[in-house]
This record gives sequence, C-alpha cells and structure tokens, in this order.
Amino acid sequence: MTLLESAFNRSFRTLLGREILRFVRVWTQTLIPPLLTSLLYVVVFGVALGGRIREVDGVPYLQYILPGVALMSLITGAYMNTSTSVFDAKRERYIDDILISPMSDAQIALAYTLGGTLRGLIVGVGVFVVGTPFAGAGVSHPVLLLLTATTVAFTFSALGVVVGVVSARIDHVTFMTNVVIQPLAFLGGVFYSADMLPPALKLATLFNPIFYMVDAARYATLRASDTNPYPTLAIVVALAALAFAGAWWAMNRGPNLRY
Amino acid sequence: MIREDVPALKVEGLKKTYSNGLVALDGVSLEVGAGQFFGLLGPNGAGKTTLINSIVSLARPDSGNVKVFGKDAFAEYKEARRMIGVSPQEINLDKFLTVEESLIYHAGYYGVEKKKAKERTEELLERFALLDKRKARTSTLSGGMKRRVMFARALVHDPKILFLDEPTAGVDVELRYRLWEYVRELNRGGMTMLLTTHYLEEAEELCEEIALINGGKIAAQGTKADLKEEYGARNVEEVYLRVVGHDVA
Repeated sequence: MTLLESAFNRSFRTLLGREILRFVRVWTQTLIPPLLTSLLYVVVFGVALGGRIREVDGVPYLQYILPGVALMSLITGAYMNTSTSVFDAKRERYIDDILISPMSDAQIALAYTLGGTLRGLIVGVGVFVVGTPFAGAGVSHPVLLLLTATTVAFTFSALGVVVGVVSARIDHVTFMTNVVIQPLAFLGGVFYSADMLPPALKLATLFNPIFYMVDAARYATLRASDTNPYPTLAIVVALAALAFAGAWWAMNRGPNLRY
Repeated sequence: MIREDVPALKVEGLKKTYSNGLVALDGVSLEVGAGQFFGLLGPNGAGKTTLINSIVSLARPDSGNVKVFGKDAFAEYKEARRMIGVSPQEINLDKFLTVEESLIYHAGYYGVEKKKAKERTEELLERFALLDKRKARTSTLSGGMKRRVMFARALVHDPKILFLDEPTAGVDVELRYRLWEYVRELNRGGMTMLLTTHYLEEAEELCEEIALINGGKIAAQGTKADLKEEYGARNVEEVYLRVVGHDVA
C-alpha cells in the first residue's frame, strides 16, 4: 500500500464522509443562513450604499466587495463547521469512538479539516454565484481563485479543529467567532482598499492575515489588489500549513481529548 | 473454547499519573489468555477505566507495555486497535447519526469494507432487536436501546477482544440477562472478554478469571475457585470485600 493509499484509506474516507453528512443533514443551519447573510451584505453595501462609492481601484464597488464577502462567508463556514463538530463530539464523548479507532491523529485532523474546507467552499462559491448577477463580474484567474479559496478554507477549518478541541465551553467557540474571526474579517479590507485608510490603520491592516486572503481573492477575481498576489499566496499557504500543524497537535495532545 | 498461544492481552508495569498528582495506575501487570472471560473488579476510582483507556490510548500511560495478541498497542496501534472492541461505561453515541449509520460508520472507521459492514450491521440490528429503530437518530432512543446500540457498535468490526466497561450499569434486569447470554455466546465462539463491573454477581456469573484492582494496583488475581480458597470466601463478593479492605463478619 502506498503512503497515499494508506493516508486516505477507508477509515479516513469514512470520517470525512461523516463530516460531510453532518453539515448536509443540517443544511438549514449550515448552508442557507450564510448565503442569506452575504446576500444582505451585497444588497446593503453594494446596491443601497454602493451608489455613493462608485469605484475603488477603478472597479465598480459591488464588484470590488463581492470576492471579499464570499471569502468572509467561506471563512466563517469552514471555521464554524470544525469548531462546532469537534466541540460537540468532545462534549458528548463520541469523539472517543474515533480516537480509539485505527486512524492516526493526522488522519483524524485531516478528515475534520477537509470536511470544514468543503463546507467553506460550498458557502463561498454559493455567495459568489448568487452575487455575480448583481455585481456583473467575471473571474480573471479562476485557478488562482480556487487555489486561494481552498487554502483559506483549509486554514480556518484547521483553526476550527484547534478551537473545538481547546474550548472547554461552547461560549469559547462563539467567542472566537464573534471577537476574533468576524472583526478580523470585517477589518480585512472586504469593504474597502487599504489605501483608503489613514497610515496607522493601514499599518495595522498589514498584520491581519485575513487582509492577505481577501486581497489574493480580489486579485484572482478582478486583477485589483493592494499587494503583489503571489507572495500573498505564499503567506496564505504558510498559514494553512501552520493551522494544520495546530489541528494535528490538538488531536494528539489537546486538552480533554486524550488524558 | 478457542485458545491461542499468544495472550489476548499482556500488560506490563503500566503506570499513569494524572496532572493533579493522583496515581491512577501504579505498575499494573496482567495477562488475559486468548478466549478467556476475564473480570476486572475494584471500587470506584480504582483504575479500571484508566487501564482500559490506556490500552486504546485514550489515556496516555507514563510507562509500561501493552500487547494485544502480540501487537504492541502503541507502536503497532493500528493492528492492535483493529482487534479491540470497546463498549464504554458512558453512553457516547454520535447524535447526528441514525442507529444503522452508527454501526456502518463505526465499521468504516475500523476499515471494514462497506458491503461487509452492511451485512454485519443487519445481523447485529436483528440480534439486538433494533431493526425497527434503524432509521431513528440515536439521540431519540431510550437508555436501554442506546446501551444496545453501544454493544452492537463495539462488535460491528468483529473484534477479537471485547472490553466491556460496566456494561450493565443502568440496564434493566431483562436486558442484563440477555446481554449476559449474548456475551457468553460470543465468548464460546472464541472472543476474549475483559469485563469491568461493580456487580459482583455479574463477575461470579460470567468470569473465569478475576483481577481485583485497588488504588491503581492489582491486589489479587486468579480463577474464581483459587481466589475463594485463598481468601477463605464463599463467593466473589466476600473475596472482593476482603481484598479491598472491608472484611465481612
């Protein structure tokens, strides 16, 4: 058996299948609300207020914000999937059934992470597709966009695994969403270009990882960006690797899993 | 009864200290022969569940060795764990899955191919009278039914050794007797059983050999007859009370 066959064996595929089944089964909670929320952003910021901000970097405002809005939904979807799935499994201890199976910790971490990645991608692509008739934009670099979207979803999905394991209470999971992820996403240049900010805020934005992700997605869609997209993509890939290392650690050494 | 040369379970010098300094296992060694029905008795907090959890790596022992049918439980954990079925003390069913899916997915986690998993699931659903509940979410079941699903789940990947951790806690008398009958049948078919229980009557009824664990150490071990003779006891309950320090009048 090759290394690849061994890593993606039936045990791994079963857990990944379970993760997909979970979010599909509760689709009214996992897939529909983010689509609706994003559509509201598009309507409020793009259609209603967008008339006052006609163009950013020579791009109509609605077109300018759409990749960021889609990415924001993708991030939230990916993160929420794993953080709640792992947290629930841990709280009700049915994760033990997985931890004592013949799967390695890396396989478990990867199956959870890919499940969340898929949900993030479905939501992100959904928002993009629903918003495109309003924005009227095409995609300049589809492969780059898909690569960026997948890597970003993977990163936040892996981060969700860490948070799901580390959290002792459900409010720890929601705290991370409301106090860390959402503000970083809002301040990550979804609705504006960093060039529009005063110098101090612009500098602060450069420390926000979501800024690079939004910027890369925007470049791939519109060829408009604040930074050079390729080093940005490298940063995003590095963050994904770091987040996955965290997820792996969480399955192996995380608190309240194995004692 | 099928006997093999390699012991089903060999535990040597297993130590586990919790982060608060509590020594849960203090150098536990024991051997369970293949095909044996082995009982692990002891008061609450004696280390029974920690021992089971250490074998399947839910607990991380500080030191010691564990072999399952000759396979190192840590270095060769994939092979070792495939041979183990665990029916834990606490109900821990996946609330997103139906009864049927609980078994099929569990089999999948253990690498059982889908066709075989489905066949085995059918057998076990029938055996545990769960056929009419197959499409029900596990969260909607009664306590007794959940316990039956837990049993079926532990068996769906055809383990060679079954860990039954307090299997009949909170179970009504009828189900208890049916479970006893079934585990006896499995044992006659060659499956090794490691049972932890508070119900001494259960150990008396089912187990050939018994180990008494107290304060993280094996305090006594032997066949029921040997232990009764050694402690001058009429039954396992008296042996238990003498070993754990509450002598009977």
